[in-house]
Amino acid sequence: MRSRLAGTLVPAVGVILVLAMPFMTTDRYLFKVLTFVGLNLIVVAGLALLFGYAGQISLGHAAFFGIGAYTAGYLTGEAAVPWLVATLVAALLAALVGFVLSLPMLRLKGHYLAMATLGFSEIMTVLFIEARGITGGNDGLRGIPYPSLGSFKIDTPSGVYLLVWITAIVVLVLAANLVRTRPGRALRALHGAELGAQACGIDTGRLRVQVFALSAGLAGLAGALYASAVGFISPTTFSLEFSVLLVAMVVLGGTGSVTGPVVACVLLTLLPYVDALVPGLPREVVSFLQDWEADIAGIVMILVLLFAPGGVAGLLRRSPRVGEAE
Amino acid sequence: MKTRRRVVAAALVAMLMVTTVAGCSSKGSSGSATGEGSAEPYRIGAIVSLSGSYAGLGTPEQKAIEMEMKRINDAGGINGRQVEVIFEDDATDPAKAQAAVARLLEQENVIAVIGATGTSQTMALRDDIDRAGVPQVSMAGGSVITAEFDKNVFQTPWPNRIVVPFTLKALKDRGLVNVAVISDTGGYGKDGHDLILKDADTAGVKIVADETFNPGDTDMTAQLTKIKAASPDVVLMWNAGKEAAIVAKNIKQLGMSVPLVGSPGNGRREFIEGAGDAAEGFRFAAGKILVPEAYGEGTPAFEVAQKFIADYSFAYGVAPDIFAGHAFDAFLVVTDALKRVEGEATPASLRDAIEATDGLVGVGGTFAYSPEDHNGLTEEELVFYRVDGATWVLDK
Amino acid sequence: MSSSELLQFLISGLQNGAVYALVGLGFTLVYASTGIINFAQGEFFMLGGMLAVAGVRMGLPLPLSILAAVLLSAGVGVAMERFALRPRRDSGALVLIIITIGASMVLKSLARHIFGPNEMALPAFTPGPPVLLLGAAIDRQVLWIWGLTIVAVVGLTLLYTKTKLGRAMRASSLSHDAARLMGIDTAGVVMISFGLAAALGALGGAAVAPLTQTAFDVGARAGLKGFAAAILGGLGNPIAAVVGGLVLGVLESLSVAFISSTYKDAISLVLLLAVLFLRPQGLLGKSGREKV
Repeated sequence: MRSRLAGTLVPAVGVILVLAMPFMTTDRYLFKVLTFVGLNLIVVAGLALLFGYAGQISLGHAAFFGIGAYTAGYLTGEAAVPWLVATLVAALLAALVGFVLSLPMLRLKGHYLAMATLGFSEIMTVLFIEARGITGGNDGLRGIPYPSLGSFKIDTPSGVYLLVWITAIVVLVLAANLVRTRPGRALRALHGAELGAQACGIDTGRLRVQVFALSAGLAGLAGALYASAVGFISPTTFSLEFSVLLVAMVVLGGTGSVTGPVVACVLLTLLPYVDALVPGLPREVVSFLQDWEADIAGIVMILVLLFAPGGVAGLLRRSPRVGEAE
Repeated sequence: MKTRRRVVAAALVAMLMVTTVAGCSSKGSSGSATGEGSAEPYRIGAIVSLSGSYAGLGTPEQKAIEMEMKRINDAGGINGRQVEVIFEDDATDPAKAQAAVARLLEQENVIAVIGATGTSQTMALRDDIDRAGVPQVSMAGGSVITAEFDKNVFQTPWPNRIVVPFTLKALKDRGLVNVAVISDTGGYGKDGHDLILKDADTAGVKIVADETFNPGDTDMTAQLTKIKAASPDVVLMWNAGKEAAIVAKNIKQLGMSVPLVGSPGNGRREFIEGAGDAAEGFRFAAGKILVPEAYGEGTPAFEVAQKFIADYSFAYGVAPDIFAGHAFDAFLVVTDALKRVEGEATPASLRDAIEATDGLVGVGGTFAYSPEDHNGLTEEELVFYRVDGATWVLDK
Repeated sequence: MSSSELLQFLISGLQNGAVYALVGLGFTLVYASTGIINFAQGEFFMLGGMLAVAGVRMGLPLPLSILAAVLLSAGVGVAMERFALRPRRDSGALVLIIITIGASMVLKSLARHIFGPNEMALPAFTPGPPVLLLGAAIDRQVLWIWGLTIVAVVGLTLLYTKTKLGRAMRASSLSHDAARLMGIDTAGVVMISFGLAAALGALGGAAVAPLTQTAFDVGARAGLKGFAAAILGGLGNPIAAVVGGLVLGVLESLSVAFISSTYKDAISLVLLLAVLFLRPQGLLGKSGREKV
């Protein structure tokens, strides 16, 4: 009884709080930082589906994020395409690339699959650097316009924050629900045992392709939003390190869950921005944290997995599931 | 399923509590920060590369600024106020530079931004700088920084726009007319590369090979083998990162006897140490800071450069390189303008004061900005160097 | 293109390829004994070079510095296995992989704090002018790199085929449980694999540092190339990793020769993907030995 009440009340309160933020503070920097959290959430939701339910790991999602960002950036900035159209095209293009890439990848498993996504990501990095006419090369693409719908322009940090978080909430709700639908159960069967799933009449190949394309599309969507939110993009953002960080969020969050990755995503994204959350922090502490950010993140990752192999989700559940990953 | 939902909910709430509390309290603090009146120090942001490919450039830059900040504050500050420089590391990453400037502008409320170390990183700040109307003084040498004019952006190094023609002319004067170009794909390398190709005809030299490498590459023998096949008189390298030493070594490794000429970005001690023997005879154009006697002993520029070299060597135990000099100049440009601002210094009034800089003697040259020229240096400031006995000497 | 130029491109490719092979061997060793990819492998490459430079700067003779660097790196590898991975060895491979990613972040960042951000140079093992071969030049250091790679491969092969330890390693790579039942100390085997992998990476890092210099951040790239070498050859087989590394190096060098230096990484990766898609088990891998 209590849990059902909490189950409906708490997310509702959460959503209200997210939406109410702009009325509670005017701190522009805080909104920028929270926007990054929302963007990462969108990608992580897709990766969590891919990994947690289809058992696939991708080291290339930063590239899909980049495809979305450059497509939207180029279309809105250079080609003056309306923002909404550009954003949708960007997400669809990323999904399409994901779809095409996943076809030959059906033959691959485990580390070979990871290598294929990694290789794809590195190839895209070279293209981002070399396709100067579209991407601006190493110098990046500047002056990408803010999101706008007709004459209504979203040009404040709080407006962009709301746009990104509303998108993120919609994506998360859909992802959480997909888990409960028939395709979702089929996906989990896929993770559990591919042969078994096939025996039950599930077209595992098609499902794998679909979920890969979906997660690529979500990464593309987040990338498109990132481009218009930040106004500047350059190849280094879409690097292997970012892909790895995204995967780390999912694994740290715990497999077979959307919640855990969400929490891990929020924590890992906020780590370098502690000063935005804890105002009045002495300068020395802030610079110490910035200087040691990578060490802290690495140690936290190791410790969480050492003491809670089920990740954040396992911690929250308090009873680590057996047979993670594999 | 129930547990899962409860967990989702709990997580969302926890997350929101954190952000809300933080949001509310940070609002409170920003109010108090501005309330203390004129005793507040001048806050200047500095974006330098302390890691990544340009770590070796950003580190001396930070040292030079810290040294000068301490000197000014010990002497009572500017207009009776202390100067506080807030450093951010961009990790040689344009995206990180952009995130850093957002933080400096919106979290730290700086009145000026010094930086960035690199050309790409400098350009990445532009949208935010324009929106905030805060003056920016870059320490990077890409021409694009001031050629793509922006009223808020100034530059202290000698831009490729003047260095490339000077270098090509020096090659021609030495009879090195068949030039093989090797450059990196970073902002500075590409900027220089494009200018070399554009200016070659005017300078009367011929480009016989054109190869590139990526920042982070560790072996260029393949590119140099191609260059070797083109039998050039000289290899002209344009980059500022640590890969320069590898190019020098690879040339030696391939048994090539062709001379190597570089850019001001190679005026670093790490290049000489890294390339070892292969650095001997390496030539490049840069300002006079490496051998201040080039200014002429007793001139104001000589005195400024001598004092800077002495102070820096005393503080850090090594002589400054050209990048420490660019940072010294950038900090000088800002602090000199702060002294001249009438009334309360705002980003806008400071910008106007910087633009009014005229005849300011720095270590990299004498700066004279105008509403059309935000670099303010000419070919006059450049000399040609040669590495000889693991140090720099003038190459006449 | 003259034949001496072509030879020069081949030499350049084999020089890089041998380094990729040394790093790739580390991936393969760890994979064979644990079924995981050690993302910190590239950091041992970095440690090897940096520690050797540190040793020389402290006044140690070069050979001693290199030996110390290799042994210290192996120690770090063993410690990482013992304290960060073994407690979780029954978790899934991905948990372990993410732990290695965490470890690589810590190692890289600590190296920056300890050694500083600048690139550092290591003296050549045997200084002197390059050796000429049919019009192509080979740096003496390159001969060292090749020599060390050969020693590593021969050593590993002997270890695998002639020693009890090697047989234990092979047995536990086939099946941990079966090996344990046969009385093999699988935990020890895993620890030794990590130590050996770290030592090989460090050796590669120290051997190449006189040519390329080294810095705190060289690990990621080396790791990427080594991983690609191991995958290209076929995971789990030392000879395959070496072949993979050499093929990758030569491909890159030939891309510069015949296509474009800008696209050399992309071209080699496209070919790598093509190989993967057509032959998922790698060039020399046997199919049907999937671990994950």
